[in-house]
Amino acid sequence: MVNEEEIEQVAKLMKIDVHDHKEFVEKVHNMINYFDILDSAGVEDEEFQIRDLPLTHLRTDRHIPYEEKLIERLKHYKGTFVRAPKMI
Amino acid sequence: MNLKISALDYVNEVKNGNISVEDFVFATIERIKKIDGSLHAFLEVNPQAVENARIIDKKIKSGTKVGDCFGMPISIKDNICIKDSKTTCASKMLENFIAPYDATVISKLKEQDAIFVGKTNLDEFAMGLTTEFSAYGPSRNPWNPDYVPGGSSGGSAVSVSAYECVASLGSDTGGSVRNPASFCSVVGFKPTYGLISRYGLISYANSIEQIGPIARTVRDTAFFLNILSGLDPNDNTTIDLGKQDFLEDIDSGIAGKKIGVIQEMIGEGIDPTVLSATKEAVSKLEGLGATCEDISIDMVKYSVASYYTITATEAGSNLARYDNLRYGYEFPVEGYEFNSYISKARTKFGPEVIRRMILGGFVPSSGQAGKYFLKALKVKSKLTKEVSEAFKKYDYLVAPTVPILPFKIGEKIDDPVALFLVDINTVIANLTGIPSISIPFSISNGLPIGIQLLAKHNDDKSLLQAARALETTVKLPEVPI
Repeated sequence: MVNEEEIEQVAKLMKIDVHDHKEFVEKVHNMINYFDILDSAGVEDEEFQIRDLPLTHLRTDRHIPYEEKLIERLKHYKGTFVRAPKMI
Repeated sequence: MNLKISALDYVNEVKNGNISVEDFVFATIERIKKIDGSLHAFLEVNPQAVENARIIDKKIKSGTKVGDCFGMPISIKDNICIKDSKTTCASKMLENFIAPYDATVISKLKEQDAIFVGKTNLDEFAMGLTTEFSAYGPSRNPWNPDYVPGGSSGGSAVSVSAYECVASLGSDTGGSVRNPASFCSVVGFKPTYGLISRYGLISYANSIEQIGPIARTVRDTAFFLNILSGLDPNDNTTIDLGKQDFLEDIDSGIAGKKIGVIQEMIGEGIDPTVLSATKEAVSKLEGLGATCEDISIDMVKYSVASYYTITATEAGSNLARYDNLRYGYEFPVEGYEFNSYISKARTKFGPEVIRRMILGGFVPSSGQAGKYFLKALKVKSKLTKEVSEAFKKYDYLVAPTVPILPFKIGEKIDDPVALFLVDINTVIANLTGIPSISIPFSISNGLPIGIQLLAKHNDDKSLLQAARALETTVKLPEVPI
């Protein structure tokens, strides 16, 4: 059973400000609790597949020129840098 | 001008010189202006559409080769990029985002001279199944505007159903093409995973989502698959099925085929009228020469939890890019520390997106992954095995597309878990990657019911044949708008 503190901690780590705190936490709480149905699926011994993709299936790693200067579409840039808030 | 014609009829009418592209597109735009205020299918209408139509008329008159769409007016879900057009994902976060390139599906439609009449409404970032989570307000069901049109490609389905275009493109992560197709009485198709390129589709849950056509008929759907399918170097998940003509042999019928009726999808919670329609569909399939038998797929009851766990995890990762630094809305960085700036900027996300991002952070996190995410992957794996086993015995599976009728706007919006369960019949096609189609089948108390057929991987062509066979048994009233 998940508790409110855990939900709040995840929201903080995901850099999300939560409004309507009580209602929001309650809804997320209900959603996560619904996922508990997975406990009764009886899949503990099941293996799950991870799709292997051979390197030959990947496209060639080569430079594809793009005609437009995409950086000029950004809101805050200087030269080839994007302006961001200070880190500390 | 008859705007109710199918895509294939439109092409024939233009080819035969019975209608001009300009007249048809002009009439389409006029209809959008007239009725979309009450339906809200569109987030933006293309002001160049009629001018583009004139250009195609000139090509036709001059004998220049014209693409297969012959200027057909098509709408596009607003999470698919059209170069130099706004692509908002129905989010305030991308309110002014101009796509710098075309999605592969858009390039293919442009090559075939389709005309994009506008971008359609959706649940924000395609997270929802009613279109109520659009940041720009809900779309409304043309069969009854007090009711939801389904989602997340609700605007696309409404635009086709209400004759605001001939066809549309949506995206289907857990039923987002088939669900609104069912609720609006049009055809919605989710192809085998990889059949259509996702390049240029704004990501929600990459491992299971697909772009799919919404059209008036099964034959129109096959027409669009001919254009849209195929390998794409920009999407390594695309598959090579060789050159297939999905229209060829589409009327070959289903005599002698075996069909499994999925019991978990017509059990507890199903609306009696939907159950009755499903039984009638099974009877009609048998009347077409198929053999129908009950089948149980045990993992269906865990599929919704598995689906939401996996999609939330992928959404949490995909939406991390929306930090408002590289793109986003106008919000100066001065005076903010890095983390607080991003947190503040993300308040532009709507409540459902926020909820799913938090779920996406929680279920794969250290200490929780074994209980949620890994178990969801195991359910997905076991479900895939069960479905593969089913297709050893059956050619197709059948179920209602949605177990309930369309419901009133606002009726379920405050209960996310109740909304989860509306997806129960559609998510298995996404989790297993198989193709699935919703066909308009019945109208009950003025509200549509769709029937869903499913086939094994890469059997999209055969699935369209089965859908076409069922479609020939159905005669429905016109949408009352």
